[in-house]
Amino acid sequence: MNEDGLDPVIHTPARLRIMVSLAALPDGDDLSFTRLQDLIGLTPGNLITHLRKLEDAGYVTTSRNGTGVTARTSVALTHTGQAALERYTAVLRQLLDSAGQG
Amino acid sequence: MNEQAGTTSGAGMDDAASIADGTPLGITEAAAIMREAGEKARSGLRVSHRTTFTIWGLGLLIGYGAIWLAVRGQRPFHGPDPAAFAVAALLATASVMAGIEDARAESGVGGLSALRRRVAFASVVIGLAGMFAVEGALVHAGAGRPVIGVFEASAPIFVAGLFYLTRSMTRPDWAVAGLGLWLVIVAAVGGFAGPAGAWGVDALAAGLAYLLMAVIDPWVRRS
Repeated sequence: MNEDGLDPVIHTPARLRIMVSLAALPDGDDLSFTRLQDLIGLTPGNLITHLRKLEDAGYVTTSRNGTGVTARTSVALTHTGQAALERYTAVLRQLLDSAGQG
Repeated sequence: MNEQAGTTSGAGMDDAASIADGTPLGITEAAAIMREAGEKARSGLRVSHRTTFTIWGLGLLIGYGAIWLAVRGQRPFHGPDPAAFAVAALLATASVMAGIEDARAESGVGGLSALRRRVAFASVVIGLAGMFAVEGALVHAGAGRPVIGVFEASAPIFVAGLFYLTRSMTRPDWAVAGLGLWLVIVAAVGGFAGPAGAWGVDALAAGLAYLLMAVIDPWVRRS
């Protein structure tokens, strides 16, 4: 955690967008890499790098289905990631409240 | 993670250097990002039921209404043979348009939702195939044109009603359950209006129900 108590893995613009976008999916759903890229607006390289950090923290999972041109990489939020985002949201709300901006 | 390679290494990693991983992010900015990204994801990934319901409502009103206009004065009743093709084409177009609208929003979404979509599609296909099989059996058993006329008007509405009732069980949705129940009632009661009247009753009662759903859908989704 950083000095504010906000999870540094999530607390960057790109990874926050990724986490929030994946959290909008119903339970049990995943999102293709290309659709996530469309939603977030990152280059493939940037998205890969951020996803790797989130994956290392156990916040997202990636899986690949199919082979060759039909291959599809999908990304999903894990339960750990969901819980981390909820904690992040709660801390952020507290900080906003205490700053009188919430 | 590469879409083609499917791994977290390889092409694209050069961009890593350009990522400002430690970009200072204020709390108000973080809150704004959460709000904006959440709204964008929800609106982008949500199926527009409003559009789908509107397409079906207009399809039923125009299609069934056209058949009713074609058969209402028939003595004796001999059915909507030429018009039926036009209506079948119209309803098929409506279903394709509704399918395209759903596919646009759900493109790239996998997992449980994708499984539900496949089951829903299969249930509609099986329901319609069963409907045509029963119609064939009725003809084979010597049913007259008026009986077939009532069946042709009511059965698709009945299948649609059962589809919505089933869908609302897998994903609780009282508005969709209400639509399903209403369509089953319309199909059952509309048949008593006779082979000509059933088309008119179904056009109004089912078509307007779909349009009502289109109107209330945004409110239902918010609540």
